[in-house]
Amino acid sequence: MRLALHLLQQPKESVEEFTTSIGKMRQKIQFCKEGHNISDDDKCSICNNASRDKSTICIVESIRDIMAIEDTAHYRGLYHILGGVISPIEGIGPSDLNVSTLIERAGRAETKEIIMALSPTIEGDTTIFYLSKQLQAHDVKVSTIARGVSFGGELQYADEVTLGRSISARIPYGK
Amino acid sequence: MYLESLKLLNFKNYDAQALELSPKLNCFVGKNGMGKTNLLDSIHYLCMCKSGVMRSSDRILVRHGEAFFRLDGIFKREEKRENIVAKIIGGKSKIIERNKVPYKRISEHIGLLPVVIIAPNDTQLAMEGSEERRRFWDSTISQSDAKYLKNLLIYNKVLAQRNAYLKSTRYLDESLLGIYDQQLLAPAEYISMKRKAFAAIFTPIFETAYRKISNDQEKVSLVYKSKLLEHKLETLLQETREKDKILQRTTQGIHKDDWDFRINTFPVKKFASQGQLKSYVLALKLAQYDLLYQKKIVPPILLLDDIFDKLDNDRVKQLLTLLVQEDFGQVFITDTDENRIEKIIQLFDVDYKKFIVNRGQIIDNA
Repeated sequence: MRLALHLLQQPKESVEEFTTSIGKMRQKIQFCKEGHNISDDDKCSICNNASRDKSTICIVESIRDIMAIEDTAHYRGLYHILGGVISPIEGIGPSDLNVSTLIERAGRAETKEIIMALSPTIEGDTTIFYLSKQLQAHDVKVSTIARGVSFGGELQYADEVTLGRSISARIPYGK
Repeated sequence: MYLESLKLLNFKNYDAQALELSPKLNCFVGKNGMGKTNLLDSIHYLCMCKSGVMRSSDRILVRHGEAFFRLDGIFKREEKRENIVAKIIGGKSKIIERNKVPYKRISEHIGLLPVVIIAPNDTQLAMEGSEERRRFWDSTISQSDAKYLKNLLIYNKVLAQRNAYLKSTRYLDESLLGIYDQQLLAPAEYISMKRKAFAAIFTPIFETAYRKISNDQEKVSLVYKSKLLEHKLETLLQETREKDKILQRTTQGIHKDDWDFRINTFPVKKFASQGQLKSYVLALKLAQYDLLYQKKIVPPILLLDDIFDKLDNDRVKQLLTLLVQEDFGQVFITDTDENRIEKIIQLFDVDYKKFIVNRGQIIDNA
């Protein structure tokens, strides 16, 4: 409603410009054949970028997750958007996710490692478990992102589950 | 531990009410349908984040025609004040605050303020299906073991996903079912172990409680029944996989556990008289009280809803002497009969407060 009133106050030309760009966006933007990222081409800018490391694929739930990981500037590999996590309660089974394209990508000789960056929930765990089973047949390393006490957080405020996990999945330090 | 003051806003039949309470004995007197039970329920809600009377959704706890309810209680626990607020606004999920800070997970609140409610419909524990009995034990163990509740929540979530998957399609992916099986194992093992250990300490306390109420008349027993006592859940789930697929639900697991109630070796459900049945469930509740007391060090709050009406005078006396003997904590009693309440007050001989409840109005009548 607010948007509609605002548009009514604008000159006709600029509203037309605005609507054509929205139309264009919807028409031109498609999903990357490889990783299902948004793209204005067959393949997205990340898949097309020659300087990116083609041997690692990071599995995420949605486009937002790619944006978040890209912001860290810590990852130089490729992505694969799953489109969610397995949750039959919400009507999402394995066949509703981009699994077959993932298996196909994992089978390529250039793929060496698959990183699972999924939510630390029961459904996320189910999905990681499921995908790792599906990937067993291929010669790829499967890893998950670290889970535990957040950087800048204080131990005494971390909940038991998180802290317990951090301790059992501790990392060797120094040598 | 006790409740110092209580404020209700739009809870059940109350608009705005505020009470200052006695740390020992509080009596609510009034006719049927005036809102005595609702008062006890509001205290239960502040301790357990849910109604102790209604099984349905929280929304029906909101006063008719209003959009929200709010409960505000100040508890004194180990010399410290704990301000607990529970509220539901519109269709949103409930918020529980402890000293102005909302809980991220409401389950973290369970066990802080132990509570036991004894009510006329307790006989459902013996007469209804196994769900009632699991609810009773889950609520008791959860109040003394936070890890138990966490495992139970995980188990229930995975179970719900597994059942939804079994219903969702006829072309089931066996490997996904296997993964749900795996995810059920660890929480199920913990819960099963705890239920077993709990039964071992609960049963003797219960038997003693029954003996005291019934004057040693009968021999009672209570047995925890679970397939997991003899079989591994992993094997059970594998064996039942085909059956589960046909029935479209999970037929093995701790959600099938039950407890066997007997008097003189006969099942309570079929053979107990009304009096025996009442004594049996009363003993269960008193054992719950004793056990929480032992485990939590602080005496739990005891809510006695209209129970004197349903018990004969002898049993009322037995029960009261039992309570008076022990070093009981704060007690709330509702009754329709003012004379009976007066007798009870005399028997207890402690600091007390009496309130008259009339159509959602509470009058302090100390």
